[in-house]
Amino acid sequence: MADGAREPLVQVRGLKMHFPITSGLLRRQVGAVKAVDDVSFDILPRETLGMVGESGCGKSTTGRAVLRLYDITAGSIRIEGAEIGSLSQTALRRLRPKMQMVFQDPQASLNPRMTVAAIIGEPLDEHTRWGRRERLDRIYELMDAVGLNRNFANRYPHEFSGGQRQRIGIARALALNPAFIVCDEPIAALDVSIQAQVVNLLEELQERFGLTYLFISHDLSMVRHIATRVAVMYLGKIVELAPREALYADPLHPYSQALLSAVPDPDPSLAEKVERIILTGDVPSPSSPPQGCNFCTRCPQVMPVCREIEPETREVSHGRFVACHLHDATHDPTGGRTPGTRQEPNQQGVTR
Amino acid sequence: MIRKTSLMGTAAALALLPAMAMAERGSSGHMNIIYWQAVSTMNPFLSGGTKEMNAASIVLEPMARYDETGELVAWLAEEIPTIDNGGVSEDLLSITWTLREGLVWSDGTPVTSADAVFTYEYCTHPEGGCSYRDRFANIDSVEALDERTVKVNFSDITPFPYLPFVGAGSPMIQQAQFADCLGARAPECTDANFAPIGTGPYRVVDFRPNDVIQFEANPNYRDPDRPFFQTITWAGGGDATGAARAVFQTGEMDYAWNLQLAPEVIEQMEAGGMGELLVDFGPLMERIEINFTDPSPDLPEGERSTRMHPHPILSDIRVREALSLAIDRELLTEIGYGPTGKPTCNFIVAPPAMASPNNDACLTPDKDRANALLDEAGWEMGPDGIRVKDGQRLELLFQTSTNAVRQDFQALVQQDWREIGVDTRLRNINAGVFFGSDPGSPDTYLKFYADVQMYASLFEGTDPTAHLEQRRCGREPKPDTQWQGQNINRYCNEEYDALWLELSREADPDRRQELVIALNDMFVQDYAHLPLVARGRVSAKANSLGGVILNVWDSEHWQIHDWYRIEN
Amino acid sequence: MFTYTLRRLAFAVPTVLIISLIVFLLLDLAPGDPTADLPLTIPVEVREQIRMALGLGEPVHIRYLKWLEMMLVNEPLHALANMTGWDVTRDAPRILSWQTRSPVGDIIAQRIPQTLWVVGLGYIFGVLIALPIGIISAYRQYSWFDQVGTFVSMVGFSVPTFFTGVVLILVFSVWLGWFPSMYDTTLEVRDWDSFVRQVKQIILPVSVLALFNASQISRFMRASMLDNLNQDYVRTARAKGLKEQTVVLTHVLRNSMIPVVTVIALGIPAVFSGAIITEQIFRVNGLGHALIGAIYANDIPMVQTITFIFAVLIVLFNLIADVLYGLLDPRIRYD
Ligand SMILES: Nc1ncnc2c1ncn2[C@@H]1O[C@H](COP(=O)(O)OP(=O)(O)O)[C@@H](O)[C@H]1O
Ligand SMILES: [Mg+2]
Repeated sequence: MADGAREPLVQVRGLKMHFPITSGLLRRQVGAVKAVDDVSFDILPRETLGMVGESGCGKSTTGRAVLRLYDITAGSIRIEGAEIGSLSQTALRRLRPKMQMVFQDPQASLNPRMTVAAIIGEPLDEHTRWGRRERLDRIYELMDAVGLNRNFANRYPHEFSGGQRQRIGIARALALNPAFIVCDEPIAALDVSIQAQVVNLLEELQERFGLTYLFISHDLSMVRHIATRVAVMYLGKIVELAPREALYADPLHPYSQALLSAVPDPDPSLAEKVERIILTGDVPSPSSPPQGCNFCTRCPQVMPVCREIEPETREVSHGRFVACHLHDATHDPTGGRTPGTRQEPNQQGVTR
Repeated sequence: MIRKTSLMGTAAALALLPAMAMAERGSSGHMNIIYWQAVSTMNPFLSGGTKEMNAASIVLEPMARYDETGELVAWLAEEIPTIDNGGVSEDLLSITWTLREGLVWSDGTPVTSADAVFTYEYCTHPEGGCSYRDRFANIDSVEALDERTVKVNFSDITPFPYLPFVGAGSPMIQQAQFADCLGARAPECTDANFAPIGTGPYRVVDFRPNDVIQFEANPNYRDPDRPFFQTITWAGGGDATGAARAVFQTGEMDYAWNLQLAPEVIEQMEAGGMGELLVDFGPLMERIEINFTDPSPDLPEGERSTRMHPHPILSDIRVREALSLAIDRELLTEIGYGPTGKPTCNFIVAPPAMASPNNDACLTPDKDRANALLDEAGWEMGPDGIRVKDGQRLELLFQTSTNAVRQDFQALVQQDWREIGVDTRLRNINAGVFFGSDPGSPDTYLKFYADVQMYASLFEGTDPTAHLEQRRCGREPKPDTQWQGQNINRYCNEEYDALWLELSREADPDRRQELVIALNDMFVQDYAHLPLVARGRVSAKANSLGGVILNVWDSEHWQIHDWYRIEN
Repeated sequence: MFTYTLRRLAFAVPTVLIISLIVFLLLDLAPGDPTADLPLTIPVEVREQIRMALGLGEPVHIRYLKWLEMMLVNEPLHALANMTGWDVTRDAPRILSWQTRSPVGDIIAQRIPQTLWVVGLGYIFGVLIALPIGIISAYRQYSWFDQVGTFVSMVGFSVPTFFTGVVLILVFSVWLGWFPSMYDTTLEVRDWDSFVRQVKQIILPVSVLALFNASQISRFMRASMLDNLNQDYVRTARAKGLKEQTVVLTHVLRNSMIPVVTVIALGIPAVFSGAIITEQIFRVNGLGHALIGAIYANDIPMVQTITFIFAVLIVLFNLIADVLYGLLDPRIRYD
């Protein structure tokens, strides 16, 4: 790729986040919830990577782990070239302004005992040496940016509506001029009428401040709207990662196919072509995933090999990565490349 | 039984004193006394409790006291009035006391016969609620003959005239201090009630109700060398174990009162080695009362447990005797009281001279004889081991107050009786209710709505006449008297009544003693109730406290002026 | 908030009156006889006279109204007169204890200092120990510190104070002889020496109570901290790049303190009621001792008064707890 300037902003390799399961009086570890199990992806600057998957598949954990809100089990995370996967929490603090998060539940993620001004201003106190005036100006500026009335600066979160609260959350995330923001289902808790407003705000801010998003959602149409590329997660793993258009037009992984078949297509003529694939059975527990392919227990196209060997992630065509034995034959001769590093040169244009 | 000389105990006490360097007032310094049941008031007339009487006894004094053998000793009086010395009139209708010369109250004013007359008026005032009102019963008048002489006129022949002004329950109070506190106004005089002016060896410095009292030596005390302790802290509160520990194990306290503890606890405490257990036996006796009347709930209210219906089972003396023979009194005593109890078969257990020697056979249980008696009475052993007669099971309801030792006793007695084919149902009742005098409650010991019941009783002083009188026919609690009366077992025996009448008119001490024993024997040989254990008074003193003579006939601090610190 | 407080106060008045009626009637109608404790040698006729002298002859509603007047008007006036020296009482009759025949108010006033000292310090130390233990236990959940803390608080909570009290006495008074086993209520702190003695005699009972209180409150603190530690806003705070100390102390702790503060406030009336068992063991004659003694002696005026004061304190501290909650938690609005 000639585009040397477009080094990925975020580079995740082999990320694992296992939560120990303990039992007994002495709390000995008897197992682990493999919430995220060997996940790799890149996010280019100013890009939005959508992340979809059923609830419980490890999306939030991935988002938090990438921001090192957890001490990860294994893997490497580079942000702007700096490795943060193994940094101590203390050392991380300095880097926190660069990477922020917008949480799913705007109510729970705001300290109920702090006013809006305090919530937005707190990171400023921590990371800048600004005076009162400067600080207040910045708070107002941010409130303006997210469309909050300045007069409400001294109110408490519970006095706002859900959409407004999410705006507070976004303003807070923006306070220190981050480059990268993980949006963990930022609209899931909002009324449908407000969801669009918030998504539009996020897009607008991305444009204005040159932000890079990891946009986690289980709402596939919203992801389709905002994301440049989309990663599909199943049981702690990314099963498919592809540019938006390609994925929505022609999902390769049986799981992606099932997932997308459930989405009403905005184009009704297309909708008829796709028959709904209904998955049967329950998602296995992340503490004891099945042998072989994680999806083998529910896959409509399961083959014997699927129950034996875990499929590798392969780039099956330009920028399209899938982890499925169905695509073993068609695998790219350059295989073994890490997903996400190849991009359409014109991708930037696609987002808008 | 009356010591004719006026013995202050001084000579005797002096003999007890080891070579004390300076036997003078205050030389022993400070003493700590613990009453785990704290003292509520210093006016014994307003309390009636033993603890208040004891605390007041080191401030307020009577004309005469009982010594540790139960003999009368002149105290504020010059001597004990008798017929011989003319103090008691020949017709047994009056007694005349003469105060010692030069007696003064702790405020320095003289003690006069007017104070005695006032004391009488104070305690007999109908609205005053004086707890020792009975000490002044059957009195026509109390008159001051002169400054130092008081004459008590009885309304009836009184062969034993030593109740008013005698003992810790009948001390003298100062007229000047209590003049405005008569009748309903008595409780309003808080200052006087908390710090009465007395003649005793100590006076109150600070009184905190139910907590602590500070005493100091009375500067006007009649014996210039006494008391030896200058100050006393009389602490209250905590519990009996803590009090015992403070004497035996930590040495914080010099004297602890009323250590009613389990025998094994006492043993363990004594191992602390810093103190000594003091036990003495008075008239307190634990017994099982047998109901001579029918308590059946089928009877209409007002007829239950009254003499209208004799008891269907217990009216037979053979059954009563069998019940007595089955009980192992030695075992009960050992388990319940250890060194602080003595098994007994007598109604009157003390003073020693009054205790009958004729009934000790019951101390060894004899279940064979008991069984034989029940067979003879027609109670045949049923298939379940319970005797039956005319289709009626030999089943008794046994009640008592809630108290660990009493419940142990109930269980042991139940076991003993079971072995002779008697089934016993046990019941225990909160002490406040059981001993309460609420005529509306069915659960009082006075109502006795049970076949047998257990409690302890005693009498004040050394003379059991009044105590024996309680078992006369007609003195039982019944609806007519709002269930008041102390003939708890509803005993009725003409012979007994006649003998008691003789006692009540007899003045000769030796003959009185014979009569008391005869009455006692008649009562217990009729198995009218079953005496179990004579209970001692238990206190403890530090090894370093000298001069203590435990006395069950009066306040146990009766000669506190002789107490001293043993130096080593 | 202010009007809310006023309204709650206004509501408290009928509450207190109803409580007073219930307390009075319950105790009045309870079986038991103030003369039951007297020696059996006192004849029944005399007992009846004593009962009359105690005022038991009057009908119950008259006694209630008299008591209410004395309780709500005369006793506060006397207390005021005692404190200020003003003569406002006009010799109004006071509630008299049946045991001591003296004003109940005076006895209570006498008992309050030692109760507040011992039970109050036990509470304060309990809280002071409990908070850090609860915080650290929650923060380091399942660490050895937390395990030890859990064990100790389980012991402290489940082992009765009469046991811990006796063990402490045996060790520190009987074996080591460091501290007295009995509390001296007459001790006045006047100089260094008497201060040392006061400290010595207060250590054991305060330790017993502090252990007991701490084990309860630390559990509460821990639970509340755990509740908050897993909240999203804590993650937010961490994402802000705050120091861990700031995250825990300002974000988590402040929010966790809301319920804990109310629990602490609600526990304060119990301080006034005294600690009956601990007071008994160490012979601290506080209000608890006065109450239990009065119950045993069927001293109904005393029991009524203490119970009533206790009830009023409970009402009051409930109110305070509610108001505090409102002040601490902006989400709660009372209007
Ligand atoms: N702190 C944790 N401890 C243990 N298990 C966790 C923890 N957080 C998440 N999990 C588990 O990890 C899996 C993935 O959770 P999550 O990332 O929240 O899923 P998603 O956001 O996709 O709904 C779930 O099975 C969840 O129960
Ligand atoms: Mg999630």
